[in-house]
Amino acid sequence: MVISDYSHPNWRSYCLTLGLCGLTAVIASPLRNWLDQANTVMLFNLVVVAAAVYLGRGPAILAAFAGVALFDFFFVPPHFTFAVANLQYLVTFAVMLAVGLVISHLAAGLRQEARDARVRESQLKDLYELARCLAGIDSESALVAAVCRFASRHLHARAALFSMDSSNQLQAASGNDLPTTVVDSALARSALASGRPLVPVDDLSGDPPHAFLPLTPGNGPSGVLVLAFTDRPSRELEHLEAYLTALASLVETALQRLRLVEHSHESSLQASAERLRASILSALSHDVRTPLTALYGLADSLALFQPPLPAPARELAAALRNQALRLSRMVDKLLDIARFQSGRLTLRREWQPVEEVIGASLQFLEPALEGHPVDVRLEPGLPLLELDAVLMERVFGNILENAAKYSPPGSPINIEVTRTDGSLTVKVNDQGPGFPPEPEASRLFDLFQRGETEGARPGMGLGLAICRTILEAHGGTISVSTRPEGGGCVTFSLPLGEPPLVEAEPGLMP
Amino acid sequence: MILLVEDEPEIRRFVRSALEAEGCKVAEAETMGRGLIEAGTRRPDLVILDLGLPDGDGVGFVTDLRNWSTLPVLVLSARNAEEEKIRVLDAGADDYLTKPFSVGELLARVRALLRRGRTGEQDTHQVCFGSATVDLARREVRRGGEAVHLTPIEYRLLTLLIANAGKVLTHRHLLRDVWGASFVDSPHYLRVYVGHLRQKLEDDPTRPRHLLTEIGMGYRFRP
Repeated sequence: MVISDYSHPNWRSYCLTLGLCGLTAVIASPLRNWLDQANTVMLFNLVVVAAAVYLGRGPAILAAFAGVALFDFFFVPPHFTFAVANLQYLVTFAVMLAVGLVISHLAAGLRQEARDARVRESQLKDLYELARCLAGIDSESALVAAVCRFASRHLHARAALFSMDSSNQLQAASGNDLPTTVVDSALARSALASGRPLVPVDDLSGDPPHAFLPLTPGNGPSGVLVLAFTDRPSRELEHLEAYLTALASLVETALQRLRLVEHSHESSLQASAERLRASILSALSHDVRTPLTALYGLADSLALFQPPLPAPARELAAALRNQALRLSRMVDKLLDIARFQSGRLTLRREWQPVEEVIGASLQFLEPALEGHPVDVRLEPGLPLLELDAVLMERVFGNILENAAKYSPPGSPINIEVTRTDGSLTVKVNDQGPGFPPEPEASRLFDLFQRGETEGARPGMGLGLAICRTILEAHGGTISVSTRPEGGGCVTFSLPLGEPPLVEAEPGLMP
Repeated sequence: MILLVEDEPEIRRFVRSALEAEGCKVAEAETMGRGLIEAGTRRPDLVILDLGLPDGDGVGFVTDLRNWSTLPVLVLSARNAEEEKIRVLDAGADDYLTKPFSVGELLARVRALLRRGRTGEQDTHQVCFGSATVDLARREVRRGGEAVHLTPIEYRLLTLLIANAGKVLTHRHLLRDVWGASFVDSPHYLRVYVGHLRQKLEDDPTRPRHLLTEIGMGYRFRP
């Protein structure tokens, strides 16, 4: 039994007290010629002590008054009357009453304290048991079961655990002992908001009272533990606050531990997935690329074969070479995407003129442009930009490759670079079929998404996704559109920043 | 004689056949250790070195080789290995090819490096490229017959690139030799000055034909 026995002394205790006092008077009365009056007073005080210790404060006070009355009646001359011959006895009565009251107060206090200590000890033992039980559990449902068991055994209550979901709604845990419908969710929320156990005392409905214990484990959603007491008047729940707080903190700790276990399990899974990804990446970059290099080079050497091969064989060799090159570009793109997606895209940014990146990209891409003339128009006086040149070359490479692939052979591609407030805008225009309108246009930037109309063209739909990832890492944006006069347009912008100063050469004549 | 250090037999096979078709003799080595020994005993005119060898990195090989030889080194490397390429170029390698590469590209690089090796000692006081002429003896630069004014730094940068024609010079190398060691972390100086040179000497500065950018690495002068 946990809850302290606050039951009040009943009428039997008072009768017993009166009986004891009467018995004392009856026993002491024949002895009054031998027994000093002071000792008789002591006997009555002994009764007060006994009543205080065994029966409580009320009977002890009754014993004090009854003792004074009986002493007056039986032992103070004139005997068998309440009249007092010598007024000095009034002092005796006063002192006797005062002593009796003080004794009853002290003894009853001690008794209450001893009782409380016993209750606290038993509460602590229960909580300790619960803590030991919760330390061994490994799932939330086991936690709920343990808490329900504890509540029904020690609190005569039914328990339910709720957690707050992302939309601030209470979600019942599985295995609750208490149906969700009977729980007042407004009270649960206000308990959670106040951070202290809420025990509504004045429950006018007459239902068994509920206690709401807020749980804030710190590493996850908060929750509320609700206890519905079955047979206890709500008035007494006030005394339980410390106990319930301790209970809540035990449950809170257990929840926190469960979530940590879950989290560490997840992160070890994540780490092994990351290891797998890294080993696949390194396998791809070396083991796939090496045979591709050999394939490409071997096919290419066939063209230089002496004596020259017949024309059909040379064409086959060229086709073989081109397919090997395409495969190699796909592997490159997949590797890029895999590298970026692993979340470790570190930029090696340096301040540089954008025309250098464009020029180098065009030089690098010359074979892939397949004879499309490229016209570059730069606004004069463009500032330096802080770019990762290697990655920006990939952006230009992917956009120009698409432009060359989707526009009619030999049609021009033009690149316009302009400066708008705070950013640099690059437009790549081609004579191709253009892009679908929104929202399909935005979807082209997702992985493995390709335009509908280009189904027959080779490709995987990685190029624009790579562009977007790189540009976003630079703080830029990218979009596609169809120009009113026809042809596709890819527009991207990059923030300008504050380029470092380039000091003039010392001693230079202007 | 060309020494080919490469562990993949099929790549060795086509590189060898291409070089032999050009009339070069080819020696092969499968590992870096073997490669260094071969380089010492056979005294090749050029080393082609794969960076993906199992027994060590190219930087050690090139550093070791540079202790006793200036023979040109062409590096074969994977894409995405920019940092490794920069380190091996800084260590003294001359040029690189990214895999996969065509036989045509390979032969062009090999010819350029061999030519440089042979003409290295000759005294050429005049260099022509595009419509520009640089007279190294008289420190004069002309374009289409008209004198072009270069600042001292521009001129120093240009002559350094010309002196290493065909070779990739890393940003670090150029900054150190032209501006001094304290500028190696300010690559924007180099980029701005290369831009100036292109404006003054290239026919289309946005699409240079001679002062070439090696993205993420450095620059190369192609006559």
